[in-house]
Amino acid sequence: MVKEQYREADLAREISQLTFGVLSSKEIRQQGQVQVVAKNLYTQDGIHQPHPYGVLDRQMGVCGKADKCAACHKDVFACTGHFGYIDLELPCFHIGHFRNVITILQTICKTCSHVLLPPPEKKKWISVINRPNLPYLQKKTLRKKISEQAKKISVCPYCSAVNGVVKKCGLLKISHEPHRALGKKKLESVMEERIIEFQSAIDSNAELKGLLKNGHPSIILNPMIVLELFKRIPREDIGLLMMSSASGTPEDIILTRIPVPPVCIRPSVVSDVKGGTTEDDITMKLSEIIFLNDVICKHRATGAKMHMMMEDWDFLQLQVALLINSETTGVPPHMQPKKPLRGLCQRLKGKQGRFRGNLSGKRVDFSSRTVISPDPNMRINQVAIPIHVAKILTFPERVTPHNIKLMKQLIKNGCDVHPGANFVQFRSGGRKFLKFGNRTMIARDIRPGDVIERHLADGDVVLFNRQPSLHKLSIQAFRARVMPHRTFRFNECCCTPFNADFDGDEMNIHLPQTIEAKAEALTLMASTKNIITPRNGEPLIAAIQDFITASFLLTKKDEFFTKAKACQLISSILTEDDSTTKIDLPTPAIIKPVQMWSGKQIFSLVLRPSKAHGQINIRTKGKNYSKDEELCCNDSYVVIYNSQLLAGAMDKTTLGSNSKNNVFYVLLRDYGEDMAAAALSRLARIAPAYLSHRGFSIGIGDVTPGKTLVDAKVKLVDKGYALCEDYIKSLNEGNLATQPGCTLEETLESLILRELSQIREEAGKACLRNLHSSNSPLTMAICGSKGSFINISQMIACVGQQAISGKRPYDGFEQRSLPHFPRLSKKPAAKGFVRNSFYSGLTPTEFFFHTMAGREGLVDTAVKTAETGYMQRRLVKSLEDVCCHYDGTVRDANKAVVQFVYGEDGLDPTLMEGDERPINFERMLRNVRNRTPNLKEDSLTGDEIRSRVKALLSKDMSRDFQKEVNNFFETIATKVDVKYKKFSMSAPPTGVHRFIERLTESHVNDLVDIFSKKYTNAAMEPGTAVGALCAQSIGEPGTQMTLKTFHFAGVASMNITQGVPRIKEIINAAKAISTPIITAPLIKHDADYARLVKGRIEQTKLGEICEYLEEVYLPDDVFLLIKLASKRIKVLRLETDAHGIVDSILAAKKLKLKPGQIRVFNENFIAIYVADKTNIHFTLRNLKTAIPKVVVKGLSSVSRAVIHKDETPTVTHKLFVEGGDLLSVMSTIGVEGKNTTSNNIIDVEKTLGIEAARVTIMKEIDSTMKSHSMSVDMRHIRLLADLMTCKGHVLGITRHGLAKMKESVLMLASFEKTTDHLFEAAYHGQTDEICGVSECIIMGKPMQVGTGMFKLVHKVVKEDVKIKSTIFDKPNLEKFIN
Amino acid sequence: MSSLFEDIFEIKDLDPDGRKFDRVSRILAESESFKMDLILDVNTQIYPLALGDKFRMVLANSLREDGTIDDEYDPSDNRPSRADSFEYVMFGKVYRIEGDEDSGRLAAYVSYGGLLMRLQGDANNLHGFEVDANIYLFLKKVAF
Repeated sequence: MVKEQYREADLAREISQLTFGVLSSKEIRQQGQVQVVAKNLYTQDGIHQPHPYGVLDRQMGVCGKADKCAACHKDVFACTGHFGYIDLELPCFHIGHFRNVITILQTICKTCSHVLLPPPEKKKWISVINRPNLPYLQKKTLRKKISEQAKKISVCPYCSAVNGVVKKCGLLKISHEPHRALGKKKLESVMEERIIEFQSAIDSNAELKGLLKNGHPSIILNPMIVLELFKRIPREDIGLLMMSSASGTPEDIILTRIPVPPVCIRPSVVSDVKGGTTEDDITMKLSEIIFLNDVICKHRATGAKMHMMMEDWDFLQLQVALLINSETTGVPPHMQPKKPLRGLCQRLKGKQGRFRGNLSGKRVDFSSRTVISPDPNMRINQVAIPIHVAKILTFPERVTPHNIKLMKQLIKNGCDVHPGANFVQFRSGGRKFLKFGNRTMIARDIRPGDVIERHLADGDVVLFNRQPSLHKLSIQAFRARVMPHRTFRFNECCCTPFNADFDGDEMNIHLPQTIEAKAEALTLMASTKNIITPRNGEPLIAAIQDFITASFLLTKKDEFFTKAKACQLISSILTEDDSTTKIDLPTPAIIKPVQMWSGKQIFSLVLRPSKAHGQINIRTKGKNYSKDEELCCNDSYVVIYNSQLLAGAMDKTTLGSNSKNNVFYVLLRDYGEDMAAAALSRLARIAPAYLSHRGFSIGIGDVTPGKTLVDAKVKLVDKGYALCEDYIKSLNEGNLATQPGCTLEETLESLILRELSQIREEAGKACLRNLHSSNSPLTMAICGSKGSFINISQMIACVGQQAISGKRPYDGFEQRSLPHFPRLSKKPAAKGFVRNSFYSGLTPTEFFFHTMAGREGLVDTAVKTAETGYMQRRLVKSLEDVCCHYDGTVRDANKAVVQFVYGEDGLDPTLMEGDERPINFERMLRNVRNRTPNLKEDSLTGDEIRSRVKALLSKDMSRDFQKEVNNFFETIATKVDVKYKKFSMSAPPTGVHRFIERLTESHVNDLVDIFSKKYTNAAMEPGTAVGALCAQSIGEPGTQMTLKTFHFAGVASMNITQGVPRIKEIINAAKAISTPIITAPLIKHDADYARLVKGRIEQTKLGEICEYLEEVYLPDDVFLLIKLASKRIKVLRLETDAHGIVDSILAAKKLKLKPGQIRVFNENFIAIYVADKTNIHFTLRNLKTAIPKVVVKGLSSVSRAVIHKDETPTVTHKLFVEGGDLLSVMSTIGVEGKNTTSNNIIDVEKTLGIEAARVTIMKEIDSTMKSHSMSVDMRHIRLLADLMTCKGHVLGITRHGLAKMKESVLMLASFEKTTDHLFEAAYHGQTDEICGVSECIIMGKPMQVGTGMFKLVHKVVKEDVKIKSTIFDKPNLEKFIN
Repeated sequence: MSSLFEDIFEIKDLDPDGRKFDRVSRILAESESFKMDLILDVNTQIYPLALGDKFRMVLANSLREDGTIDDEYDPSDNRPSRADSFEYVMFGKVYRIEGDEDSGRLAAYVSYGGLLMRLQGDANNLHGFEVDANIYLFLKKVAF
């Protein structure tokens, strides 16, 4: 079957909107084909036919293949089924609308059904409600407001009846207490009335009187009463309930009739084993409901007892509720269904539910999945597909005169030979399977226009994908290459975007089925077009692992090749597309005594085999750069001059991903992705060839430490241990100086921790000194291909401290970490320091500590994947419809503006060459200088450059651009000026002087030209789904954030939550964050003043500043004596004295002390007397415990404030305040209010407003990302912050925030709380425009983003409808008659 | 045109930052007549040099005595060349000429396939150096 290209349907058939509503019982009957009355499913006569008028009646459709629908006489494939209906004997509450019923009851008078609002109020509200195009969000809030207001009115303004509290009492029961709102007196009179009413009953049963008096008399509102009430609601009041009478009236939400869904959605499964059928849960429930109906009917007829009837009714209600939502809570135990059923709600809900499982995501054909493996012989855009797979995946190819010969051959080959075909579809109709039959005959008969379902062949475009698909690069288009064996193979350079490795990973392939899809995939999704990630514009597809190692070794300074070796090596690139590439072998670097080519010369040929290839220019520091630019002794300053590698060894910074100094990135930006991909493919060929010739492996010898190293390490560890012992000793002796803001214990921990981490660091350094440069692990660490120096030192020297949640292992075994150590030991070995290396082997206790840390890592990853997955889903849901429009604004699906200009400058993060700017000026300058030396031209002076640039910049260029360009040329011009002066050069300079800061006129012209082109090209394209990019760019790095051990952020023990938890807090807009910190710079910068301000902010308790508290019992007096530590008060610079303290004691409300009870003797002594003389002892005791907790100074919410001293560039002091509210800290005297910042977004919003909150969100996300060295372009972060704040208050990316951001019910339903949103929408009769991404996917429409954003509008010339002449008007009518 | 620069140098220092590579050493040398400073990487595996050695160094644009410039590498070329009278010959590219602001001297940077050379000294001695030009280096040890 050929997939047709998507074409927009005739306008008449397009779904433009969707209205939700409640079906009235009349409508249910009208839509039903049959009334279902029989409780039996099948006839009892043994022929196993559906019982007529039972729930499986054939009139509602069929599910067996052989059967025919009784209503439309079609078979199971053609008949979509028909609804039936069941009349309920008694009305029932609809479980989904139960809350709505309660709200309506709270809003209306329980006697006359009017909405409980006085007429003028009503008029006011109605005018608000009648506004056209009232947004859904507003409807919801209006409803809440109206019902809130109505709830407060207890006497109906229309019938003066008393209305009280309506609330849920038990499952599906509503009670009304009309008298609760009345005063006590009135209530009593009502009570008396009631007793009189029940007098005759009381006479026979005295207990009843007591019961009647108890509690408020309440009325149970059963569905029948409610239905009557709802029916009487005046039409004009229905609007006030925010229902629209067009799509449902209040009485409709009480069920009197339920629809029976078609049979085909609840098929019965005929089981051969048991004999008989298994029925769907819905079918069973429906038949149960009919059964109960019958019971009620019978009971009514026989006049059964009332409580029997009520019981039946309750049970019927429960069954109806379970049909709709089988997870109804609060079902009494005896009524609980034995096994969990799948109600209608359950069918819609959840990941596997209709919304997420069938509407938003669908199963596909033409896909395959298998294990992946690496193959450096594949080019960057190729994937090897097993023949086995290729023979199953087919592409419908139309026969044309041009390909008929090939197609005939394919048909002849058939299904089992690879380039073959599986099916033929003839244009005349009909389809033939090519496995059987005479293929030669079929081949002979095909004509142009027939369609051949041919096997997947070399060069076909396939989509290659790996889960989890966290960003757009997780699915890319590749060219297929059909190969033997059973795995998908691709160049390992492409691992990074998929985050794939080859430890058993599986990946999926999809084969696009139309040429349009192929073309779109190739231009948008091809792996060559996706080398750069939109997250920060850095390349993701780049050399990895062995390729880096090989390039590093190849380009080392002392790597030389004889002619034979050089030629052999470079010719390894001559395959496939490059097989005819001409290679210009340069003159050897060493001509005499023997001709030798350097490795750098060979590597240059990879970048530029011949003159036809591009010239790139790079100057950058490598990983091991020391000093003196290219003369760096480690040869780690890379200079590439017109694609010739002149200095420096290639390493991760110049080859690996996540670097804009990558040679392939530069090739891509300068010469396009094909050139870059070709160069990368060449590297992938030459690197393994070189490495396998040279040999590169690792053995036990590589990690065996020499004697000197062992000695050095032992000495190091012993020294460290001794230091730690000293610290512990000084702690025990009590002369350890505490660090600011830390307790003694914390100080010790941080000291020891620092000492121990130093041991490992030093050990690592010792390793580096002692290892030869040919050591394989060292080589890999140096060039950055795999592993770090820490890994090496762990293998060879010392594994180091094991941390559990950032601390040393806790004492989990009776005051010690493990039973092998003495109690409360703080020694390094007892607290998880591993002094051995992996080579020397770990002792049992060390091993155990190591497993503890290892387990933490495993648990952390397991937890974090789930957490970030959910975070990603929320981010994507909230940002999916945000896209860039033709006017440059960023809007959501409802065309509401989120940003006026994308990212504040309208530039595409993917195309940023500099640091978040579109142009890398330095590189462009080098390009122009090196590619066009222009030796005949004169160099310009500084002023000449300035005037030339001024002439070239025109007014219509953007202001940002002009500023940037001007700044750049200004710096050059200044440099030139300096050089002219220094070397007293003539203008124009001659000789060698020409080459100093050389810039000619055509250089300047070219540069300005290039700059303006780059800037224009960097604009964000209209239609780009910037929201989705933003969500992916923030969500995807989240998955990579692993737990970080050992980091001291500024002040010890002032840890700020980092990583995924922090990101989660920010995007959830959490009110209470785990580490709120306010940074408050001070007005004056000296330590004393800082302490003063600290005293004003940090809470100080009375207990902390008094020497002693004494109960004094004198013969004539009893009091509590407080001796203040005045010295301490002075030292702490607390601005308080005895009188101040008395005031704060009086202010403490809990103590309930009166001014007369406190006496101040002098500035050191305060006495508190007891007022209550009856219980002096205990009162005094209580006081004694409560008094020390009185806050005498500072903000009660601030538990800690730490002074931070910053000495660069000048000495500045600021306070880090833990907790507290921004407002009071800002307004504290001594704090520089306007520069005070907080990391609590909600607090900032409250204090400073929405714009400040927006800035805080951006700052916080950025700093969190940076702390994990994840670079994310600011534009993404800005968009997220703007989305969170665009509604005027901070909305979190949660279901609550989302419900306030989005209008569309379908979108919300496909996110979370599916059924709640649907019921609410039905209640309001909401109309959903199908415009967002989710809605369009659900409805099968192309979404209004990207290529779907614009429409082809053309004017249709409409012909006027002419009146057709009838046959009678014909002049020669007679002829026809005859 | 014969040569760009010619002088006798004496090796003052070998591998100032320690020996980092097995087969290549960096020599610091000073010329006798023009007082030029030289930093040069030499493949000492095939041409060993020792501290205090003196050598004659010639820099030229061409291998030929007559100064004709060959554009491309021709492996079949065995015509007589200037290289015949030297022990160690390298081919490279001048890629940077820069002035040092403090000393007022100019420096030419040349890379012989990764073996770097910096020749620093008075501008007059660097006359004829052009950025982007190919350059040949000829070395011969001089007896004391």
